[in-house]
Amino acid sequence: MARAVPTRVKARNTAIAWIIAILIFFPILWTVLTSFKTEATAIADPPVFVNFQWTLENYVTVQERSNYFRHFLNSVVISVGSTLIGLAIAIPAAWAMAFVPGRQTKNVLMWMLSTKMLPPVGVLVPLYLIFRDWGLLDTRVGLIFVLTMINLPIIVWMLYTYFREIPGDILEAARMDGATLRSEVTYVLLPMAVPGIASTLLLNIILAWNEAFWTLNLTAANAAPLTAFIASYSSPEGLFYAKLSAASTMAIAPILIMGWFSQKQLVRGLTFGAVK
Amino acid sequence: MATQHSRAAARVMIAPSVILLLAWMLVPLLMTLYFSFLRYNLLMPGANPFVGFENYTYFLSDPAFQTAIVNTLLLVGGVLVITVVGGIAVATLLDQPMWGTGLVRIMVISPFFVMPTVSALVWKNMFMNPVNGLFAWIADVLGMAAFDFLTQAPLASIIGIVSWQWLPFATLILLTAMQSLDSEQLEAAEMDGASAWARFWHIKLPHLARAITVVVLIQTIFLLSIFAEILVTTNGGPGTASTNLTYLVYAESLLRFDVGTGSAGGVVAIILANIVAIFLMRMIGKNLDA
Amino acid sequence: MTTLTRALLGATALCTAAGLAAAQDDSVTLTIATVNNGDMIRMQGLTGDFNEQHPNIELEWVTLEENVLRQRVTQDVATSGGQFDVMTIGTYEVPIWGEQGWLVPLEGMPEDWNPEDFLPSIADGLSVDGTLYAAPFYGESSMVMYRTDLMEEAGLEMPEEPTWADIEDAAAAMTDKDNEIYGICLRGKPGWGENMAFLTAMSNSFGARWFNEDWQPQFDSEAWNETFTTYLDLMNNYGPPGAASNGFNENLALFQQGKCGMWIDATVAASFVTNPDESQVADSVGFALAPNKDGVEKKGNWLWAWSLGIPSGTDAEDAAKTFIAWATGRGYTELVAETEGWANVPPGTRTSLYENEEYLAAAPFAETTLQSIEAADPTNPTVDPVPYTGVQFVAIPEFQGIGTAVGQALSAALAGQTDAEQALEQAQQITTREMTRAGYIQ
Repeated sequence: MARAVPTRVKARNTAIAWIIAILIFFPILWTVLTSFKTEATAIADPPVFVNFQWTLENYVTVQERSNYFRHFLNSVVISVGSTLIGLAIAIPAAWAMAFVPGRQTKNVLMWMLSTKMLPPVGVLVPLYLIFRDWGLLDTRVGLIFVLTMINLPIIVWMLYTYFREIPGDILEAARMDGATLRSEVTYVLLPMAVPGIASTLLLNIILAWNEAFWTLNLTAANAAPLTAFIASYSSPEGLFYAKLSAASTMAIAPILIMGWFSQKQLVRGLTFGAVK
Repeated sequence: MATQHSRAAARVMIAPSVILLLAWMLVPLLMTLYFSFLRYNLLMPGANPFVGFENYTYFLSDPAFQTAIVNTLLLVGGVLVITVVGGIAVATLLDQPMWGTGLVRIMVISPFFVMPTVSALVWKNMFMNPVNGLFAWIADVLGMAAFDFLTQAPLASIIGIVSWQWLPFATLILLTAMQSLDSEQLEAAEMDGASAWARFWHIKLPHLARAITVVVLIQTIFLLSIFAEILVTTNGGPGTASTNLTYLVYAESLLRFDVGTGSAGGVVAIILANIVAIFLMRMIGKNLDA
Repeated sequence: MTTLTRALLGATALCTAAGLAAAQDDSVTLTIATVNNGDMIRMQGLTGDFNEQHPNIELEWVTLEENVLRQRVTQDVATSGGQFDVMTIGTYEVPIWGEQGWLVPLEGMPEDWNPEDFLPSIADGLSVDGTLYAAPFYGESSMVMYRTDLMEEAGLEMPEEPTWADIEDAAAAMTDKDNEIYGICLRGKPGWGENMAFLTAMSNSFGARWFNEDWQPQFDSEAWNETFTTYLDLMNNYGPPGAASNGFNENLALFQQGKCGMWIDATVAASFVTNPDESQVADSVGFALAPNKDGVEKKGNWLWAWSLGIPSGTDAEDAAKTFIAWATGRGYTELVAETEGWANVPPGTRTSLYENEEYLAAAPFAETTLQSIEAADPTNPTVDPVPYTGVQFVAIPEFQGIGTAVGQALSAALAGQTDAEQALEQAQQITTREMTRAGYIQ
């Protein structure tokens, strides 16, 4: 491994890295801090950082005004649901593309990605009409379907890049041993692909959690996730920084915490075939 | 035999994805295409007569159209440059030995978990607001006049906000790629007396080429349809200074409820997106085969 | 594929079944789309009272920011999406939607609801051919709110009916940029309901109009030029930074923090700026009628009412009517008065409120509000005759789009990207283009 690094260099690196990291993280930190202030303190000049009267009042207000838990639950159901369905559809496709590539494989892949470039605003009205006719407006099922479709290309593509890294020899060997296609996938391929699948899963949950166009436009009350919850806190009357901060914190906290805990898994898979 | 068998199996395995995506793409697309030839305004129900290319000429002759194209390209390009350059810088830094790597990394990737609406709201109100924002206070402390970001430099401000959201993604991918670099190669170069810059330019950067391509590809897909950030912060203004193509289509179809023109705009946007896609594929195709 | 379809169908069936089950036990769920304004949020907090009276009606609130709300409800009502049972809409939408048959006429309401009590100008704005299509939740006009302490310091006195020249003098005298006090705060955020509401109302007081009787846009007129240059001068010299992104809510926050000397905006803001819990300047706010140009009889005040309407095709029409009767009835006013004080009741809808001594005592702004509302005349908004109705808007379906695009162009001039002349020229172009396409201009 690398040579021992002089402490001085390490200290310098540490200092720079911390400064930059704190700068990048600061908006989130500031939001969380502000959420514990009163509205008057939130806009105090000069700004106060930690030496203020901490209060939970904003969280109480937000909770009184909106049914946070239902929005939260919808977010979980929709993002996890769409991710799992997406994976179920994408894993076979990515497997086939990676191990039985045809002449068209790359084109199919690129075509899939290009479907993501469809501007959502352009097709909202047609889709709204379809959803209305099928009774899917304001249902979780409808949203799961939409989010599955918009993220499917990314899922297929990410999985494809991992699967390609799995040496074909191992599969050959398994096949020689008389493994069936099914056992080949279950016993050989999947275990090796777990990190990739895990990080695809995580990335996709994040993308689905944060999707704010379809989730806002196709829901009203029953299926509205946290993105709709936050839409009622933008620019209300009077002072609102503290309440906005509290609502924002509540909206991002679950995914932020999940992201923090699973960051290692997320990173491990994010290689996009870059590792040779 | 085996290959033929597996080819057939492969087709079966790919089929669900392809069929679903085809349906997902074609059904709304065909409806959009159909609507784009009708005079169809939601606010004025009645007959929706066929009007040929009228909606297209109307959309394309909109004075805002050219601005929107330029803004779209600036937005995508600006964010890509900032996140790729910034990502390389931050990834290089994180790749160095230091104390507290875990915490630093968590802080750096956090913005990626924040919903676009939330980040736009927070930046707009708590940072960029020229009276109550933190930046105004900093300017005040430094004895400068507060800069009104969202009116004086709306597009640049939005580029800034979006870059903040996507920097972690670029950093993460570039960092993983960097860590896969063979350190012996670097050490050998160092022995040979190559400067840090030369080592970066000739060894690290080429190694990162593929990861950069991935960052560019994925981000472009998302950046072309940036919408929430604009809606929350500037509503496309002042004037049309921060209107991108997506926002223009939104204005037609959901502000004016002119579904016909909005659909025509949607079709135009799809065509342009596909042109970008073709460019990307050329680029990616090469790099990904490597 | 097939399993997925089956799963989807199954899930849908389950949802439907759940819906049916809910219907069978006789309880109804109303989905109410509303705007995130203070009065509506207060109403949300008071639904306990409604539930007590009507335990079988459950209320689901969808509270959205104004622009998002407008897009969502319009889209839903125009496609008969059926997502909402009660919609919060304004005097712009109601006549247009009522005529399209998109709203349920408010007939067969409970007896004690007493629609005759609504202020005539407000009720007119919500009716088509004499039939009421939405019930006003609160009504507003616009007026001048100013800081009495700053005026006193400057040695000035605000006339009850100021002219624009008076406003400029006052703004100049009160501005103290070093201490972050700006003489005047006005709307600059683009949008037909934001800066254009203010500017259109203001233009009336200069004798300008949107269209002449042949629907020709009038932005190239001298009157519009004078309106807009006066506005720009006021804002550039005495306005706060970032004015081009300030709407009602932003200005309210600025005023409450004591950063504005004057603010010309909705009368409904009066109760917020005089509320000591929210406003740092609560005890030093004065009110005056919206200004006019010397010699022009029209004043720059508008007329608006946030109202509750029922989209046709709702499956809970009766429950929706019950709710609307509760929310816009006198009982609700008393409920708010009891829990929050008389000054906080939703203003501007009922004559009886302005005859109530308790209210008049608690609300120093009541008289000016009523005067402003009564002075607004949607059919003759400005000096010259116009082919449209509406004070601060033009009640045609195309106006949302045109108004917002024009708002963008004018807001760009406030941001300093163009000058007054260019902006008005653009406004003229945009409007001509859209009106020609819509067939108004042959």
